[in-house]
This record gives sequence, structure tokens and C-alpha cells, in this order.
Amino acid sequence: MPATALAQPKAAQPKAQAGKNPKDTSKDKPAAAPAATGDVKEVNLEGGDAPKDGATAPVGGDTPAPAGDDAGLGDICKIDPTACPTIDMEKAANRDMKVQMYAVQQIYALRNHRFEVNPYFGITMNDQFVGHPGPGLAVNWYITNVLAIGVNGNLYAGLNSNSNFNLQTSRAARVGEPVTEYQWNANANFSYVPAYGKFAGFSDFIFHYDFFVVGGVGAISTRPIAVVDPDNRTFDFKPKVSFHVGGGLRIFFNRWLAATLEVSDYLFFDELENPKIALGLDPNTKKPLAQDSSTWLDPGGASFTNNVQAQVGLSVFLPFSWEYRLPK
Amino acid sequence: MMRRFVKSVLAGLAGLAALTALSTGAEAQEIQLTGPLAGAPAVRKLRLHRAGRFEIAPGVSFSLLDQYRRTLLPGAALTYHVTDWLGFGVWGGFGIPYNAGLADELQTKAIDFRDCAHKSFSRPCRLTATNLTHGSIADDQLGRMQWIVSPQIQVVPFRGKLALFSSLFVDTDVNIFAGPAFIGVQERGDCGHDSNGAKLTDCANQSTFTLASRVAVTGTFGLGLNFYPSSFVGFGFEFRALPFSWNTSGFDNHGGGANGDFPDLNVNSADREFHFNSMVTVHASFQFPTSIKTTD
Repeated sequence: MPATALAQPKAAQPKAQAGKNPKDTSKDKPAAAPAATGDVKEVNLEGGDAPKDGATAPVGGDTPAPAGDDAGLGDICKIDPTACPTIDMEKAANRDMKVQMYAVQQIYALRNHRFEVNPYFGITMNDQFVGHPGPGLAVNWYITNVLAIGVNGNLYAGLNSNSNFNLQTSRAARVGEPVTEYQWNANANFSYVPAYGKFAGFSDFIFHYDFFVVGGVGAISTRPIAVVDPDNRTFDFKPKVSFHVGGGLRIFFNRWLAATLEVSDYLFFDELENPKIALGLDPNTKKPLAQDSSTWLDPGGASFTNNVQAQVGLSVFLPFSWEYRLPK
Repeated sequence: MMRRFVKSVLAGLAGLAALTALSTGAEAQEIQLTGPLAGAPAVRKLRLHRAGRFEIAPGVSFSLLDQYRRTLLPGAALTYHVTDWLGFGVWGGFGIPYNAGLADELQTKAIDFRDCAHKSFSRPCRLTATNLTHGSIADDQLGRMQWIVSPQIQVVPFRGKLALFSSLFVDTDVNIFAGPAFIGVQERGDCGHDSNGAKLTDCANQSTFTLASRVAVTGTFGLGLNFYPSSFVGFGFEFRALPFSWNTSGFDNHGGGANGDFPDLNVNSADREFHFNSMVTVHASFQFPTSIKTTD
């Protein structure tokens, strides 16, 4: 795996005439070119020191950039050598640039072409009778900065738990609610990040966050818990097709580590226990029909089920670091 | 500053300490520690959407994770913000209850199908006489929140902005609120014996399937996410917790046995169970005066 990622891959775009270090203007078109295009406006927005009128742009300007690899970034390198960018300013200034002006320059934590490994723990939000907590893992690959493909899986086996509420309702109303337990769930997903931003905390520190939505398809393995006729009925786990929709919030601690809070709904058609016990004997086998497994499932068919769970976890982005395509 | 934040957050994540140590990249914000921006505020020209302003926020709340009855609460919050990060106000709403799926299921399977009004001799009817009405379970015995009023203090620890589709930008903040809450609750009235042991009408008597009102006092707290597309109009979402004990089902679930974990043929305060009641609010907000201040 590469140690670093190029944040914004080079694309065949017309060279921008502005936005470069003033000392480079003599290499390309004359600096006296009228500042009438959008390109020139971009320069003025991006480079706070760049003159508005290209015709009067001094070479070197009032604040000449220091020579060398860290030209224009010397202060940063002197203050904190570990933070010194490794960008070759000469190359960066001469390379092709996208004409597009980004609304947000140098997004704090780029996702583009990075893996996201997201271990989490999920808890049931909508099943009052049986809890389905369990650990999960999601792995995503960001095709662009906002769109990813990936997989996720949940492991429920051994962690399903009947609630007291189930007992109390059954005891008080004398009704048996059909309940099921889950074994595992796996999905292939698309993720999209429509919104991102940053917060100043207590007017002191800044942290970054984004919102994401996720959708996919997969399978979930479930089986009914025998409550109507546990003496005769035992069920095996069976996988069913499931669909996954969800959304969440990611808060970045640094450029590669974030906390995630996600609410996901896994939708599927579940098989429920038959609330009635078949009576009589099978005419062929002479065994009680109650022991015939074909009578154990609800003849009403599969029940559409939403398994809504809250997932709290951490996201680790790989590779850990990258270089921005453009200087800040 | 960023490092301080990272340290404080990661302090509770001891298992990640080794992983964190792998970080080699410097943070952009770290430069502010010692660089030319040292001592400068984290944000300049900050629009103060709250400082010195009244805020009226009408909205609708939706209760979450209800067992039998959900509650829709149209309401509003009125807040005066002393500073941009501190405000005092009151929030309230009137509850409109409606059935969750389980209530409908009980009505169909356990009440209508059994028809205990005419078949009271049947075994299921005799076994549920204390716990199930012969009429409407929603009207006769399921608990509901009628109204809520909560004076509350608001703190706004986080201010920032949000980019939507990299093209729409909006000022954003996160507020945390807390305060006492007064909740008008209706739940099944006492029957059998009250909490002091006084004899009341037997719970199997259908006349006991009526709702009684009381005011529950508890605390409320939560967190909101607010957006300000203009200088005096905003909108937002809130998550609110209202933990308190009440009898949502009208059943006799507790009071008997050594630990009170078994039915005792009485319905009283012993049958109330603790619920971490929670709700989500969607609201608009209007700030007055309409003009806005900014920092340096």
C-alpha cells in the first residue's frame, strides 16, 4: 500500500495563467494580459498577495518569497520542521491546473483514493423483544472525495438477548410474540458524502466533520426463536436477501482518524414461527404433525422487517497522509 | 490547540493510543501554536447569531423507541441568549399520541379476537382480567404524555459552517441544553391497593380501566444541530432525553415477590418502570432583533 496518496490526480486541463508564483509569470504569457477571464479572478481569490491587476504585478513583489524548495513556506518550515510541506513549489507552479475554483481549499481530511476501515459496535433501536447487538466492520474505497464503494458486516451470533419487556408483555396479555435471532449480516455498499464542515469548539480549537449516507444490498442470516412450541420446534439459521440504507456523522480527530455515529436500517423479509401448532398425525409417517418442520413457519409468509441499529465506531483512513495537489 | 483537542478526546480511547502514535503528519492547525497566527482567535469575522438576541423556535417533536404509544408534540422554544454561547429559555409542547404497532396488535389479538366482554369465562380472559380492558386499549390503559414544559439553559460549544454538495454553505452550531422538565402524564389509575396499601377497587373490574393524570417532574437534556441560512432565520434538529418512570402499558407487572418483580394484582406506582424517553425535534428559528453582529 502506498505511503501517501495524491489528493487530486493530475488532469488534462488548460494551464491557469494566474495563481502561480509571481516570479513565474515571465515564463508563460505576458503578465500584462488583461484580467478579464475567470482564471484571473481565481488567482486573486487564492493568492491574497497577488495584485488584482496583472499588468502591474511586480516580479518578486513587496514580499519576495524565499528561494529554495520551501519558497513561500519558509516560516512554517522554520517554526515546525515536521509540518514543512514537501511540495516542490517550482513544479507545483508549472503544472497543469484545473480551471475550477474549489469552494473550500485544501479540505482538511481528503477521502479521495483512500481506504476507510471502520470497526464499530451496533445496538438495536427498534426491536423491543430481542436485542441484536454486535460488532461490525466496514471497509470503503473512495473513488472520489465524496463517493465510495465498500462492504460491511455485522456479527450477532451469541449476542442476541430476550428483553424483559418480551416476558412482561407475554405474561400480562397472554400473547406470544414471534421473535427471531440473527447470526450475521453482510452488505456491499455505496457511500456518499453530501456535506462536510468544521466547527470551532469553545472558540479555541477547530475540528472537522462530515455527513454521509450509505446504501447497499447483501444478506442476513436469521432464524425464529421457538416460543409457541419449543418442545417440538428447532430452527436453523437461513440467509435472506437484505437491503441496507443508512446515514451518519463522522468527526475527525486528525487527518486519518475519525469517530463515526451511524444509524443503519437493514431491511429484509424474515421468517416467523407459526403461532399455531398443527394437530393430529401425519397419515404417512404416523408422527405428530407438530413435529413436522413444514408446519413450524408462519403460513402467512415472510414478514417485512426493519432492523434499525445505531453504530458507533472509529474510522481509520489509509494511507495516513497525502500531498495536496495545490499549495494552500 | 488541535493537539489539545486530540489529546482530550483520545484520552478515553486508551486502546487506540498505540495507533495514534503512528501519526506522522503534522496538522494544519498546529501551526497556530507557534506560528505567526499564535494568539489569534480560531475564527475571525464570526457571525454572532445568538448573542444578545431572542430566539423563537416553533417545531414538532417526535418521540422515539416507544413501546405502545408514540407522541407527536407540536411546540416551541423561547430563548434569550446572553452571549453567543449561553442562553436561557423555556421549551414546551402538547402531546398528540398515536399507537405503535404493538398496541394495535394487542387490540386485535388479545382484546378484539378474545371478546372478553362476552366470553369472560374463557381461560385467556380470566388470566388477563387484571391487565386488559374489554374496550380500547389506547383509550383505557396505555400511558401518554399530554404536555411538557421545560425551563432550560443552553450552551453552544461548537460554531462552524457546513458545505452541502460543495456549493451551498451555511453557518452551523451545536447547542447542548439541560433543565428540569414537567410532564403531564396520563396512565392507568391505581386499583387493587395503592402504594400505601389502602384498598381500592379490584383491578379485574372493568371500571378501573381509566386513565388518571399526574405531573411527573424530571430532568431533560439533549443536543441540537442548528443551521443559519440568513441573519435571522434558521432551522435545526434536536435530540432530547426525558428519563422518568411511568406505566406505559397499564399492566400489573411489579409489586409481588421478594424483589417486587412479579405481579401482585394491584396497579399502582410500583408498576411504573424507568424509561429513557427520547425524542427528536425539527424546528425553525427566528432571531430578534434581526440585525446580526460579527466579531473582529
